[in-house]
Amino acid sequence: MAAISVPVHQEPNILSRLLGRPTSAIGLAILVLIALAAILAPVIAPYAPAKLSIASRLDPPSMAHLFGTDDLGRDVFTRMLYAARTSLAVGLAVVVFASIIGIVLGLMAGFFRKLDAPVSRLIDAMMAFPDILLAIALVAALGATAVNVIIALGIVYAPRLARVVRASTLVIRELPYVEAARALGIPTPIILVRHVLRNVTSPILVQGTFIFANAILAEAGLSFLGVGISPSIPTWGTMIAVGRQYMDQAGWMMMFPGAAIVITVLALQLVGDGLRDLLDPRLAKDI
Amino acid sequence: MRRLLQMAAVVAALLPAFASAEPQKGGVIDVATVGEPPTLDPMASTADLVGIVTQHIFETLYTFGKDWAITPLLAADLPQISDDGLTYTIPLRTGIKFHDGSDMDSADVVASLQRWMKVATRGKQAAEVVASIEAPDANSVKITLKTPYAPLQSLLAFNNAAAIIIPSENAGEDPMTKFIGTGPYMLKDRKPDQFIQLVRFDGYKPLEGESNFYGGARKQYLDEIRFVPVPDPNTRVEGAVAGQFAYADALPVESYDKISGGKTKPVILKPFGWPVFVMNTKEGLNSDIRIRKAIQAALAPSDMLTAAFGSQDFFAVDASMYPEGFAWHNAAGTDAYKPDGDTEAAAALLKEAGYDGSKPLRILTSRQYEFHYKMAQVAQAYLEQAGFKVQLDVVEWATLTKNRTDPKLWDIYITHSPFLPEPSLNGFMSDTTPGWWATDAKHKAVEAFNKESDPAKRAKLYEAVQQAIYDEAPIFKIGDFNALAAQSPELKGVTPAPWPYFWNAYLEK
Amino acid sequence: MLRSILNRLLGMIVVMALVVTIVFVIVRVTPGDPAAVMLGPDATAADIASLRTRLGLDAPMPVQFGRYILGVVQGDFGQSIFLNQPVTTALAQRAEPTFFLTVFSLLIATVIALPVGILSAYWRGSLFDQAATTLAMFAASVPSFWLGLLFIRFFAVRLGWFDTSGYGGPGASFAERLNHLVLPALALGLVSSALITRFTRASMLDVLNDDYVRTARSKGMSERRVVMKHAFKNALIPILTVIGLTAALLISGAVVTETVFGLPGVGSLVVSAVLRRDYPVIQGALLVIAGLYVLVNFAIDMLYLAVDPRVRY
Repeated sequence: MAAISVPVHQEPNILSRLLGRPTSAIGLAILVLIALAAILAPVIAPYAPAKLSIASRLDPPSMAHLFGTDDLGRDVFTRMLYAARTSLAVGLAVVVFASIIGIVLGLMAGFFRKLDAPVSRLIDAMMAFPDILLAIALVAALGATAVNVIIALGIVYAPRLARVVRASTLVIRELPYVEAARALGIPTPIILVRHVLRNVTSPILVQGTFIFANAILAEAGLSFLGVGISPSIPTWGTMIAVGRQYMDQAGWMMMFPGAAIVITVLALQLVGDGLRDLLDPRLAKDI
Repeated sequence: MRRLLQMAAVVAALLPAFASAEPQKGGVIDVATVGEPPTLDPMASTADLVGIVTQHIFETLYTFGKDWAITPLLAADLPQISDDGLTYTIPLRTGIKFHDGSDMDSADVVASLQRWMKVATRGKQAAEVVASIEAPDANSVKITLKTPYAPLQSLLAFNNAAAIIIPSENAGEDPMTKFIGTGPYMLKDRKPDQFIQLVRFDGYKPLEGESNFYGGARKQYLDEIRFVPVPDPNTRVEGAVAGQFAYADALPVESYDKISGGKTKPVILKPFGWPVFVMNTKEGLNSDIRIRKAIQAALAPSDMLTAAFGSQDFFAVDASMYPEGFAWHNAAGTDAYKPDGDTEAAAALLKEAGYDGSKPLRILTSRQYEFHYKMAQVAQAYLEQAGFKVQLDVVEWATLTKNRTDPKLWDIYITHSPFLPEPSLNGFMSDTTPGWWATDAKHKAVEAFNKESDPAKRAKLYEAVQQAIYDEAPIFKIGDFNALAAQSPELKGVTPAPWPYFWNAYLEK
Repeated sequence: MLRSILNRLLGMIVVMALVVTIVFVIVRVTPGDPAAVMLGPDATAADIASLRTRLGLDAPMPVQFGRYILGVVQGDFGQSIFLNQPVTTALAQRAEPTFFLTVFSLLIATVIALPVGILSAYWRGSLFDQAATTLAMFAASVPSFWLGLLFIRFFAVRLGWFDTSGYGGPGASFAERLNHLVLPALALGLVSSALITRFTRASMLDVLNDDYVRTARSKGMSERRVVMKHAFKNALIPILTVIGLTAALLISGAVVTETVFGLPGVGSLVVSAVLRRDYPVIQGALLVIAGLYVLVNFAIDMLYLAVDPRVRY
């Protein structure tokens, strides 16, 4: 989605090539649809997301309530639209935050020989923690708010990006034109941005898509364990966590948000796969 | 009251038919509990779970019989109280053995009570009025008070932060490492987060006669009782439906129908307890009584209870601090309780208090108990209607228990309690518990109540306490709610109780 | 060679030191109070303060850090505040379910993934390949806790084939305990089979295009022999690597799965320790898990070094 608009200089027609692959096209179409639904939530949604109606709690799906109502009589369809906003925003924010940390660490490790060892060891140390465990510990430490969940997941996923960026940087650093630029005395930051950063866009884009997918799953997992975003903010994860208690009386409370997660994550993976095949020739040969 | 009778009929149907076959000895039961108890030292914690498990291992001098009347357990009789209400002489039963085979005598009791006053939260409460504890002879103890204090017997009988009797040589231990009591079951093995295994204590000497709720004869039919921590309520429900446990405690009431369709039968304890909004009277918005009165008017208990518990079968909109059936039930001050809320009155009170909507009312709650959080959400909607700006601080229980001790961090926190047999056991009756309600009106009412020992007069004096609660709104009682448990059809002899116990229980072959 | 090993060893020690520090920092900035949780709802502030002193929680941070490092170096992770037992004991008691859950999930994932991956690669582009690839992607999109819940509802509650939660009571036989692991291992294994399937397929495709496979074919070798003997054998090393990687990922999955199924493993221990603010247990568990990961990585590096001496660090 938003990731697609990032300019990729060596593949100007990436979007049309992506659309040429049926699976990626489907994935992309789903993502656009979900993103539109999220953005237009206030227009599409039939109710206010926080409107309580105790009298009509746990109503099954009907014409009035497409996906039924929840334990406080709120419209599940409406809340799913608003949840899409938070879930996608959280996922996207995690990608952005992880990218910033990952790029900075990766560039530093890859470009400056002296920093390589310490930064790489830090990355190794971070990677040693299983992601959910580290996220749980971090969220517990920072407090269970949406912003802290983003920060925690960003920290969890940043090392993966840092590794990718470092590896690419190591290769690019040795390229003749980069060496030439250094010899000409062009300041390092400019070299970093102009040459290196441009060239690592593709792997970041590919990794970013998968991190997006993982972040949505991880947020749901944290919410399910009760250590994630406050349940008063609708995300698909928090909706499942609450819906679980009513699995039998009101299966819709849990089923619809769960399906939304599966579909979104699947779509992201389809797109990510397509991107990888197109942008990363090393892995593209299975096409 | 009719509903109560109906319930009693249901309960009676679940009870063993005593006329028929004598219960058989033997069998092992698994009991699903809400989690792993933080300790097995019942003095060291006020958590209900600790009381539920350890009441099988340890015993107190007194306990509660039918209608919550104090009845002797390790004591031979009720205490002899001097006319000035200052001296309690407690005769002890003889021939009582500890799980290690030693005999209980007055030295053990004195050492245990000393430890209780040092270690236990409720013991420290008692320590404030106790002048001395002595043993005139091997089979009695004498407690001397500084001032008459009627709740003492209830404190001695209560099963959390409990005044248990342990061998004097273990009384110096803190934390406790030897779990040696006099109870009908003894600790065999404990694997944290897996099980607590209790086995029958063959040296147990039950009281003569019939059983009488927590008191009377305690029969040891079962060979083994295992408490299995299942912290997730949904997992407890699934386990109950699948018949994995002989008894599953503290289930969400709305899973009643689901339990009914499963392999274990639902058991309702009605009424079980009361959810409460505790106001911070010390600092912040709620230090202004007019704000508190506005909250009192704004909240709509009926909707809050419906959201939390679903059907009226599981809750009652009830303003009295104690429901019908308790001696403490009365109607004093209850006009202030509006089942559907009175938004206009609340708005007017807010205006009078000069509240401009800039400072948020901070509600501290957790999802440890899902119904707390649901009530918080409905409360938020009603408070906002009345003009409040509301901030829900949803934290983990561990954080809540810490944050509520800091008056700077919250305006309201949400909790609940079973109906405690003695009103003075409730936290807000003391000035130092979070909420810090300490006014002249309160002190006047509570002191009169604590000094009086005649039960009938105390019930009358309690009306003044309840009046003060409604006048000054230091807490807001939402209503009454019921508890749901599930019990295997083979398991008999379990009396529904807020802290379920399994002596007297047996398996029908 | 020796220098490589020494370098790597030094690196590992630095990583370990960083892990130890990260764990301490995370755990100590966590708000909440284990003392308040232990004492129960009616405890007074004075009670809580005195328990904090007893637990050493009121010492200055550097002192606490010093005590902690001293302990860790001696292999002593301290005493669990909540469970009242040494952290090492608590971890040891929880190791069995986690170990077997990981092993079984891995087994299930591999048994599904290897044949599907190999056949997908062999019939590249076929309907089977497309279906398998899509299914694998679908499996990777399902939250494992959600799948676990559906399994509990269907297999444990409706059909009654398995217990819904737990790991058997005292004296439960090994078979009974294994029975408790079937559903969680299935839920976890299915979800993680996706990664192995896709990787097997990709590795097989790599080698199926290689010259020696073409040579083998041109020599008239049977297809089955070509695929199994030549191609698969050569694809095995990357596949084994990814299986190893999945094993590490499974520990993450185990955290949520153990909680859903009430398994008393290391994962659920950490979750409950976080909720109880049992600092030493969080520290110990994170340290042991991260430490194992670092050690396993080191071992893999050493293996590669032994296999291919050109690898340098």
